[in-house]
Amino acid sequence: MESVIDILESKFGAKRDEKAKWDACVVVPKEYLHNAVEFLKNDPSMQFDMLLDLAGIDYLTYPNHEGPRFAISYAFKCTKKPGSRVRLKVLVSEADLKVPTITDLYASANWLEREVYDQYGLVFTGHPDLRRILNHVEFVGHPLRKDYPAQKRQWLSTTDFLIPELEKRLEDKGYRIVQRSKEIMPVEEEYLEGSIRE
Amino acid sequence: MSNEAEKPNFITTSLDFLVNWGRTNSLWPFPYGTACCAIEFMSTEVGRYDLSRIGSEYVRFTPRQSDVLLVAGTISYKQAPILKRMYEQMAEPRWVIAMGACASSGGFYDCYCTVPGIDHIIPVDVYIGGCPSRPEAFFEAMFDLQKKIKDESYMKQRAERVKDQLEMIKAKTEQAKAEAREFAREKTAELKEFVAEKEQELVKKAQFWKE
Amino acid sequence: MIVLDPNGEKVNLMALNVGPTHPATHHCVRLLAALDGETIVAGVHEIGFMHRGFEKMVERGTWQQVIPYTDRLNYCSAMMNNIAFCRAVENMYGIEIPERTKVLRVIVNELSRINDHFICVAAAFQDLGGTTPFMYAFNPREEIMLIWEKLTGARLTNSFARIGGLYRDSYDGFEDDVLAACKSVEKALKDLHACLDRNRIFLDRTVGVGKISAERAISYGWTGPCLRATGVESDLRKDEPYYDYETYDWEVVVGTQGDANDRLQVRLAEIEESVKIVRQALKRLAPGPVDIVDPRIRVPAHKLAYQDMEALIGRFKSVYEGIRVPEGEYYCASECANGELGFTIVSDGSGHPYRIKVRSPSFAHVSAFNELVEGLTLADSMATLPGLNMIAGELDR
Repeated sequence: MESVIDILESKFGAKRDEKAKWDACVVVPKEYLHNAVEFLKNDPSMQFDMLLDLAGIDYLTYPNHEGPRFAISYAFKCTKKPGSRVRLKVLVSEADLKVPTITDLYASANWLEREVYDQYGLVFTGHPDLRRILNHVEFVGHPLRKDYPAQKRQWLSTTDFLIPELEKRLEDKGYRIVQRSKEIMPVEEEYLEGSIRE
Repeated sequence: MSNEAEKPNFITTSLDFLVNWGRTNSLWPFPYGTACCAIEFMSTEVGRYDLSRIGSEYVRFTPRQSDVLLVAGTISYKQAPILKRMYEQMAEPRWVIAMGACASSGGFYDCYCTVPGIDHIIPVDVYIGGCPSRPEAFFEAMFDLQKKIKDESYMKQRAERVKDQLEMIKAKTEQAKAEAREFAREKTAELKEFVAEKEQELVKKAQFWKE
Repeated sequence: MIVLDPNGEKVNLMALNVGPTHPATHHCVRLLAALDGETIVAGVHEIGFMHRGFEKMVERGTWQQVIPYTDRLNYCSAMMNNIAFCRAVENMYGIEIPERTKVLRVIVNELSRINDHFICVAAAFQDLGGTTPFMYAFNPREEIMLIWEKLTGARLTNSFARIGGLYRDSYDGFEDDVLAACKSVEKALKDLHACLDRNRIFLDRTVGVGKISAERAISYGWTGPCLRATGVESDLRKDEPYYDYETYDWEVVVGTQGDANDRLQVRLAEIEESVKIVRQALKRLAPGPVDIVDPRIRVPAHKLAYQDMEALIGRFKSVYEGIRVPEGEYYCASECANGELGFTIVSDGSGHPYRIKVRSPSFAHVSAFNELVEGLTLADSMATLPGLNMIAGELDR
């Protein structure tokens, strides 16, 4: 693992993370994230072909923390070389919540980034479909942030429509919508009557 | 007809008994099983704890064909409108069992996404505790539900339901009767006039022939 | 809706909501599919119906209080999640658990894996329409759950592992019960294979359905039996062994096609391998302590607390303030029934976890669902979904 960290340290302005005492982790500046991940994936000596996890971290109430408030920890694994793992960390400040996306490199990044957006509010620029995934569509706020009270509940009045996303997927596959069905209208009042409202 | 149910007699109580006997011994559940309690419910369905011995021969995963909505598992706010719709789509008679701690009260998930008990959304008949509820506890709940159903009165329920309609029908019949009486009175008055006219004509003719 | 397909022809598509209230989806996945007749042309799926806030809930308790929450992640094999979490924290401490604990944890792991695979396979067959394999598969589960009841006190979500050991030692007669359960498992496997291996309907419905290539699966982050069904030999128990898994004599089960049939057959074969491991592990079970002796990590036993002042204080502080896990960040993964269950743990040195992120295997599997079903008929899509073994507790946490 040392070699991987050394190689990453020499490129992309990466630094070893002191907090990671039991596994290999480097902190990469946001701007070089995409290049670093591409390097990890495509370089013949690296070949980290699986993105396992994106963990968002909010350091608001961390004792003695200096620096940006948020961090994302990317965990990679190489299936061809068993035991080969590395983690990449990106620090994101509250003022600029944008992070470049890596959905073009790994298909798992799609949903993982959506989850980090849902729970923390970090925006991934270039993501094809950035919307909430775990919380419902009318949720306001980002619940895993340390300043969101755990018991603050939000009722949902009606389920997600999803037709616009379906049309987008059809268009991605090469279909062109010519005419919409007459029954599909924006959510109507009577549909709401059978649901709960608070 | 509403009078019959208010004063129960042998026939209505026998009918109630028959209907309740049918209902209690063939409760078909609709397992709305989202989480761990659903796995325990699956254990209740098969082999050792056999659910079909109390009448729930096969679980119907559709609200239209089932009697008991069995909510087994945590309900989140995303799932809540769907649960309400399922409850509304069920045909009467219907009952609801809240299985497990999460369905009864939210469980130990006291947070932003869990509904603190499904009785915030739909009316519940029986609550089962446990995390997850043991199959024996589930049977206890089914027996409690059966006891509850036995105390129901089909005729009274029917009377309640049709009470408004019956009153409307009564009012309408009264009105119709009154109208008919009015009509009859008019007609008799007309007839009397007609008969009186005819009489006068005959009298005139008789006088003419006399002279 | 009327669309023009890539060739320029007009096609009339219907948008059908295969909603969460579908028996095959177990109330947790919703698919909005654009159908051309019976074939799904495009689909968009939605999860989050069982989001319970695991990650927010664990931040308000102590480290030991996380263990019941981990139970409910993959509730079909609850103790594997406990052991995975405890292993991560024990690695952070750098402690070595006693031999007997290792062997017991291996036995419990493998029996839980058998439980999970049986549920997945049974639910899959029920969704395809057959109720008999469902009944066959649940029989050995009852025997194993009886063992759990005697061992831990609960049938399904038993929080058995503790950081630094186990809740308590096994009972007298544990070995005989486990051997009897193994026999029952093998009998059920025989019955299931007899039902399915040459069943025309089952083969027609699952062979060639829901295929995915190994590269695409790796890109989606698939792990566990679903990845092994595509032909990739990747098992954390062999790649990064823990608890002496490399010293047992067993093999990694790998499929060939990556279709729904392979995913189910791989699980059935893995049950056999797990039974092998359990039998070998039972022979290694030697008397000894089950917890490490360190009151800062593993709370002293109840009896000692009544006699010894230090034990009482240790117990009080452990339970009230929580054990102090060293400060730092760590990602640790274990091979659970569904795949690689990983915990990214951020500790600030206090008794309360700062952040625990669960890397759930089902999340990665289900993210590929709409790609898997595009081009299949609606019935085929319901044949691929159970093979992914999506457990809502894990999927939405």
